[in-house]
Amino acid sequence: MKPQIAAGLACYLMATTASADVVVGNPMAVTGPIPDLVAPMVLAVDLAAEHVNAQGGMFASGEKFVIARADSQCDPVAAVDAVTKLINVSMVTAIVGPVCSGATIAQADSVSIPAGVVTLSVSASSPMITNMESGTDLVFRSAASDAYQGVALAELAIAKGIMDIAVSYANDDYNAGIAEVFVNSFSEMGGTVTSNEAHEPNKASYRAEVATMGAGSDNLALFAYYGSGGITIMRNALETGAFSTFIGADGMLAQETIDQIGAENLGGATFTTSTPNLTTAGYAAFKGLAEAADVPSASPFVANSYDAAFMMALAIEKAGSADRSAISASLRSIANAPGEVIQAGEFAKAKAILAAGGDIHYNGAAGPQDFDANGDVLGYFSANVVKDGVWEGTIIE
Amino acid sequence: MWETFGFEFVNFYLIPGLVLGCIYALGAIGITLTFSILRFANFAHGEVMMIGGYFTWTAMVLSNDLFGIPLHPIIAAIPAVMLAIALFILVDRYFYKPFRSAPAIRVVMASFGMMLVIRSFVQAVWGPNQLTFVPGIAKPNELVKNLTASVDMMILVPNKHFWIIAGTIVIMLALSWLLTKTKIGKGMRAVSDSPELAKVSGIDVEVIVKATWCVGGFCAVAAGVFLAMDLQMLETTMGFRMLLPMFAAAILGGIGRPFGAVVGGLVIGLAEELSVYPWLGDGSLISPGYKTGVAFTIMVIMLVVRPSGLFKGRLF
Repeated sequence: MKPQIAAGLACYLMATTASADVVVGNPMAVTGPIPDLVAPMVLAVDLAAEHVNAQGGMFASGEKFVIARADSQCDPVAAVDAVTKLINVSMVTAIVGPVCSGATIAQADSVSIPAGVVTLSVSASSPMITNMESGTDLVFRSAASDAYQGVALAELAIAKGIMDIAVSYANDDYNAGIAEVFVNSFSEMGGTVTSNEAHEPNKASYRAEVATMGAGSDNLALFAYYGSGGITIMRNALETGAFSTFIGADGMLAQETIDQIGAENLGGATFTTSTPNLTTAGYAAFKGLAEAADVPSASPFVANSYDAAFMMALAIEKAGSADRSAISASLRSIANAPGEVIQAGEFAKAKAILAAGGDIHYNGAAGPQDFDANGDVLGYFSANVVKDGVWEGTIIE
Repeated sequence: MWETFGFEFVNFYLIPGLVLGCIYALGAIGITLTFSILRFANFAHGEVMMIGGYFTWTAMVLSNDLFGIPLHPIIAAIPAVMLAIALFILVDRYFYKPFRSAPAIRVVMASFGMMLVIRSFVQAVWGPNQLTFVPGIAKPNELVKNLTASVDMMILVPNKHFWIIAGTIVIMLALSWLLTKTKIGKGMRAVSDSPELAKVSGIDVEVIVKATWCVGGFCAVAAGVFLAMDLQMLETTMGFRMLLPMFAAAILGGIGRPFGAVVGGLVIGLAEELSVYPWLGDGSLISPGYKTGVAFTIMVIMLVVRPSGLFKGRLF
């Protein structure tokens, strides 16, 4: 056995260090407050790499498209560490990730922008990311900004007949960002915000908080990550009877929330998320591929993760080399019109067109991935309620 | 909607503060004992709390799956206590004992490393996801609710909080007996006061050290299980998040004073919850986002005004 293990190890080492490979850094919040949400997103990134490598690999020489993964923990400090290592040690061409807004902003500010490396986040949705690149054109994302989701959520609340609401948000870039958009648009639409308080994540008890906020309203807009206080706040609110209706966004949308609190207690909960539009051709192409590989295609940000990794491969292919400086322009070129439409998984086709000097226009699985001047994309949102023990989403028109 | 109860202060601020205080108190006992007998701040204490919760969860799941008997967390905690004590003693033997005569900072660093080792071990074995300890939500005890409502003082306390408060009182009484009436407890107090004097008067310090880990491990697992009962879930950083308030409680009560640690824990727990009560007017006194700051403000003021703590603890 021993020589085989040694040989296997040698192969592995060669595979990860061989200079001929194209290496892309992929910081993901594998541990941290939302591991359940991230696990299928990781599978989607790997699936995109699999498709690239199965269809001829990168460039004319067929180099391998390698994903170098690191754990960004949904935490700014951990993300800076992880991306520093990816850029300086693994010498990656570009970054696909991170997951959380706070992590994305921190690593872009202090590592990837100074190093001149493109970041293409798979799910960071904070409005603060829109204008952060200050002319460098190095920060992109494949998920829509919460500048849109916050408004969609406010419209949803009004449509449900909620006219007064208490707002509680975790004080990080993602949750504070969407809370601000929600509060502004909810007030503009004629609703009353009875209290608007930050809460500290990871406390053992939020009973005092929910009691204080519950004095003004029976409705709570909760912006938190399920794994760092969100579930505890909902549980404390339900136990004390302080709130009966909950609305919120992606950070709470995990099966874990249902398993822990119980479907029978979540009748009044609605959470929105970025979602693929299930009727588009882009999604249909992805769905078949994802199902064949046992990847849950409709889970939050899974399609966005696939799009990000796949677009990065296309952009590097278009650039013709693993040179970091060429990625930003070629990413715009393959994602935006004009060009021949490429669906999820059609790497060989795209490669042939690019080799012949043609233009391509990637049609995202999650939605159109046409980057605007700030590297943002538009997207669809869904409202999710508990049905038969799982979250069930309907697209918000 | 609270005006209908007229008793919100007790239900939503005082009782939650007491429950939190009980958990801090149990954790702080172990910290204060290690601090005074072994002369170092044990950063791994919170992780032992956490792993105790995971052992308990495993015992509950095994009993349910293999024998079909659902165990109450408090019963499932018995094997967990033994495992946690064994862990403490093994860690002490191989990681702390070699540093016994070295400067304290080395063993503090060793305990810091141990904290990361234990957490990574738990993440590797049980995974980084949260585990559900008890599913669903805990409704207030109906009997107490109806009984107290009939005299216009409706008290809303879920059963889990009765268990936590009662369990803490029982452990406190047992600890009090141990420390004042038994030979080993008196030995612990003697070593805490002066290890040299204790040694020359014939006390085996290594036995006392083992006893300290036993008491500390027992209280840590009790705190971890109570915390998991309250949160109804487990996650790998739950012990670490309690560590700083528990240190604050130990310092507030006075290092080496187990009952001081209990008082300190209750003060810190109550201060955190009561500081957001709307004492003046409608809004909460301070924003709930800052309530942890209250606990540490109390600790800092204590260190400046009276460094030995409420109960004249040891100074280092």
